[in-house]
Amino acid sequence: MAACLGRLLHSSGNLLRNGAHLKRQALHTSARVLCSNASGGLTTIRPQDEVMRNQLTVFGEYVAECLPKYVQTVQVTSQNELEVLISPEGVVPVLSFLKDHHNAQFKSLADIACVDMPTKPYRFELVYMLMSLTYNSRIRVRTYTDEITPIESCYSVFKAADWYEREAWDMYGVYFSNHPDLRRILTDYGFEGHPFRKDFPLSGYVEIRYDNELKRIVQEPVELAQEFRKFDLSSTWETFPAHRQGSKPLMDTQGRGHEAPLEENPTEEKK
Amino acid sequence: MELQFLRATTGLTGMAVAKDPHVALRVLYTKTLAALEKLPKDAAYRQHTEGIINDRFDLVKTVSDVEELERKINCGQIEQVIIQAEAELSLARKMADWKAWEPLVSEPPEGQWKWP
Repeated sequence: MAACLGRLLHSSGNLLRNGAHLKRQALHTSARVLCSNASGGLTTIRPQDEVMRNQLTVFGEYVAECLPKYVQTVQVTSQNELEVLISPEGVVPVLSFLKDHHNAQFKSLADIACVDMPTKPYRFELVYMLMSLTYNSRIRVRTYTDEITPIESCYSVFKAADWYEREAWDMYGVYFSNHPDLRRILTDYGFEGHPFRKDFPLSGYVEIRYDNELKRIVQEPVELAQEFRKFDLSSTWETFPAHRQGSKPLMDTQGRGHEAPLEENPTEEKK
Repeated sequence: MELQFLRATTGLTGMAVAKDPHVALRVLYTKTLAALEKLPKDAAYRQHTEGIINDRFDLVKTVSDVEELERKINCGQIEQVIIQAEAELSLARKMADWKAWEPLVSEPPEGQWKWP
């Protein structure tokens, strides 16, 4: 959901910057063959922006130096996005620092996303995406939690967090302490469960239909015909085979990468 | 402070023209420095912030013309500089409660940040 949106935004921003970059080079140095391949056309390889990367690295180190109590790791991704990985106790201090400090001024909370990874020690990962209008830069703050550990709400820092946290609560069941109004936001009245969890069944738990005799809508536990009961739930997860810790190496001795275990033919199930 | 020409508007919604920015900034920076005094001397946050505040404070003390001051600080209009100073003051006070200069409060569990 929101995570994908964030990714999209980021990549589109990069594209824009890329385009400008390419144009500038074409204007200034027509002789240089930095961005053209052997046949003379433009390549699709993204030019590395070393200056920006260095700036982000320096700023990341600065944040880590100022908040040694909370910052666990700082990393810059291959797409030049700065990520600060913090311990869950430090959500409010780190976000306040990034918002209020002179050198940061990330006044805008773009989004809060959540990721569910059931194999991890803390299965939920929270991603706060901030933007600094003053310095025209973005930063991502990541932390982790699980179903029973409440995480401090950052409503006191960013008022925008109100609905984002309600969304995370609704979709994943991440509990935020000190949130002024933590309740469902997207799902229907009387909805059970948190639909974005990996263990939530695709069909949900209840189904709704109009009952002609009662003349109203009734909610019943979902009943599926036998042929629709089998889902290939493992498929999405198996695209990241390295997540299967200690089970199998990525490549076996014959040099074949192993695919998702094929118990049944998925085409058969769908009919 | 001598009377000087006040501009009509900042051009930004909800941000009024500051009547006497020098006084406001002087008060804020003095308070911020006092709040920073309470943090330990070797805290990186205190050192960096004192550097920034002292730089700006020196400019506020020496440059009397507002537009000149804005140019020298180079961080938006003077009203924005005041807002930044207010934010830093509240942050410096909160920092004393959080004790953010202490060593890491909790290590991540094994494999928590691992991504293929």
